[in-house]
Amino acid sequence: MKIIEATITPLKIPFTESFSHSTKSRTYSDSIVVKLKAADGTIGYGEAVARPYVTGETVESCLQFMASTIWEHIKHIDYPEPEPDISWLYKISETIPTAKSQGVIAFNAAKAGFELALLDCLLKSQNLSLSTILPPKRNTVIYSGAITSSSIEKAVKNAKSFKLFGLKHIKVKVTGEEDFSRLHAIRQAVGQETSLRIDGNGTYDFDSAVRVCEELTQLNIDSAEQLIERSTPQTWAKLREMAPIPQMVDESLVTIEDAKALIAAHACDFFNLRISKCGGIAQTIRIAQLAQTAGIKIQLGCQVGETAILSAAGRHLAAWLDDVTFVEGSYGDLLLCEDVSRESIRFGNGGKGGLLRKPGLGIEVKDEILEKYSNDTQHICSFW
Amino acid sequence: MLIRNLIESRYAEQTKFFEQSEGFQHLVSGVANIKFYDEFIANLCKTHLKSPQILAFLYAAAPPTVANTIQHNMLEELGFDAEGICHPDLLRKLASAVGLDNAKQAQIEASSQAELHKMCSEPMLYGTLKELALSVLLEVTCFEWMLSRLSGKMGIALQQYRKLEKESLEWFFHHSEVDIRHAEEGLDSVVNYVEYYGFEIDDLKTILDITFRENIFIKRYFGEIALAKETEMLT
Repeated sequence: MKIIEATITPLKIPFTESFSHSTKSRTYSDSIVVKLKAADGTIGYGEAVARPYVTGETVESCLQFMASTIWEHIKHIDYPEPEPDISWLYKISETIPTAKSQGVIAFNAAKAGFELALLDCLLKSQNLSLSTILPPKRNTVIYSGAITSSSIEKAVKNAKSFKLFGLKHIKVKVTGEEDFSRLHAIRQAVGQETSLRIDGNGTYDFDSAVRVCEELTQLNIDSAEQLIERSTPQTWAKLREMAPIPQMVDESLVTIEDAKALIAAHACDFFNLRISKCGGIAQTIRIAQLAQTAGIKIQLGCQVGETAILSAAGRHLAAWLDDVTFVEGSYGDLLLCEDVSRESIRFGNGGKGGLLRKPGLGIEVKDEILEKYSNDTQHICSFW
Repeated sequence: MLIRNLIESRYAEQTKFFEQSEGFQHLVSGVANIKFYDEFIANLCKTHLKSPQILAFLYAAAPPTVANTIQHNMLEELGFDAEGICHPDLLRKLASAVGLDNAKQAQIEASSQAELHKMCSEPMLYGTLKELALSVLLEVTCFEWMLSRLSGKMGIALQQYRKLEKESLEWFFHHSEVDIRHAEEGLDSVVNYVEYYGFEIDDLKTILDITFRENIFIKRYFGEIALAKETEMLT
């Protein structure tokens, strides 16, 4: 099956409230939606989230790479029909180029956007669900809440909402300012039974990272994510040795080579895997398998502002992975003023998200929502 | 009294933010164009067409001390009370007055039904129906509180600037009169509901925060993008 048309739409979907961490405050989603049309008329959707501080991609460079490199390559490929085997997924992923360039570690978000759209399209053309390729190992995926680095008062309000929603896991963005007071107030609000973890987005230097872990350890924190900037595996290993909280890598883990180096150095306790960051489902699975073999725990993370498309892909993956400690995403209209799918895939009480059984990624994307929130720089690429 | 004041202060905040918004000011000052007025009317119809169904849900969840009031409101909405004015019919009359044809009106009815479908289909964040119903009750009574103060102004603006006959604007004038009573009863209902189900004050505050994390009036009457501009989510 050939793909005859690609429509690449950068979005600007407002948030219900701003979301901040140590390096960025966001008020809208800037996801890029890839819509592919196959020769038989089937439509599939994928999503990319470009983050300069993660893969080095910007929205502009991601769009450029998608239109000029990925589309020009894949439009010539005659794709095989889906087979109920993970090797088919790897085959599809391998057809999509990625690259390094100045300031870009890898065009992984661009690759992920096309991979998801291809999977959705090819599976829908045969009326098959992604769960045929990734059969679920659990009936429910349990999601975490995330608390933005706003005022302590706001953080406590968020924490109380999450408690009322029955969430068992909460991640808190930390900035180096009032960390102890913030975490202490949140711990008071949610009680001892809720799992708390922190995420620094690389804002701490090495010594302050150790110090903040020492301060917060009494609050029973389950993991500390990317406190320091993207660093060598040796630096991570030293941090892991000195800090009393289990360490999770995020921005330091973009490629399979990163994963291998981190494992070799015994550099961390957790990998934070994100489909857009890692270049799609297939590459995320490859890294997850390396982690599991090495005894490293997994968090399946998300991108702030991701829509139902990436959330649906995350749901399938989280339900299929052998062992996943924390899962993020599926925030839907808790964060976005409107999501792009007809059916809500936001998690419900207890952070529970059900399995998706419909063809493709399992959601129906509403074109009128893409049009409503398009930022007016849509690219249409056609085979002809 | 503490509970009543707490709730009423949130209604007042929501109403004040709405009244000061660009959309409301455009509406009542006459600077808006016809398209703006007509979109506002379409959104208003979509918001309120299914009010009887929402009230029926609240009636099912209401404690005995509140059930009669909600039942009365529901029958009133349906035109089954002494006055015999069916409120959705007033909205349909309004839609016809601005020239919305049958196809457009059917589209509004379908959108309104889709809202109910969404409400029933999406995963519930709350653990029980008593919490969901409290959130819905807060939203419904907050609308009554706002309408009792502002619907007359909106009706007059539509009469002056959209040149609609007063007869077609009955929904606005009816609400400004009736909802003064409804607004007071609504607050009483919420207080009774909170007490009947034994909500902790902290949980009530959290449900108020969740229900009113966005301005419900701007979102429903002027749309998500207008709200995002008002709250600086979009510049």
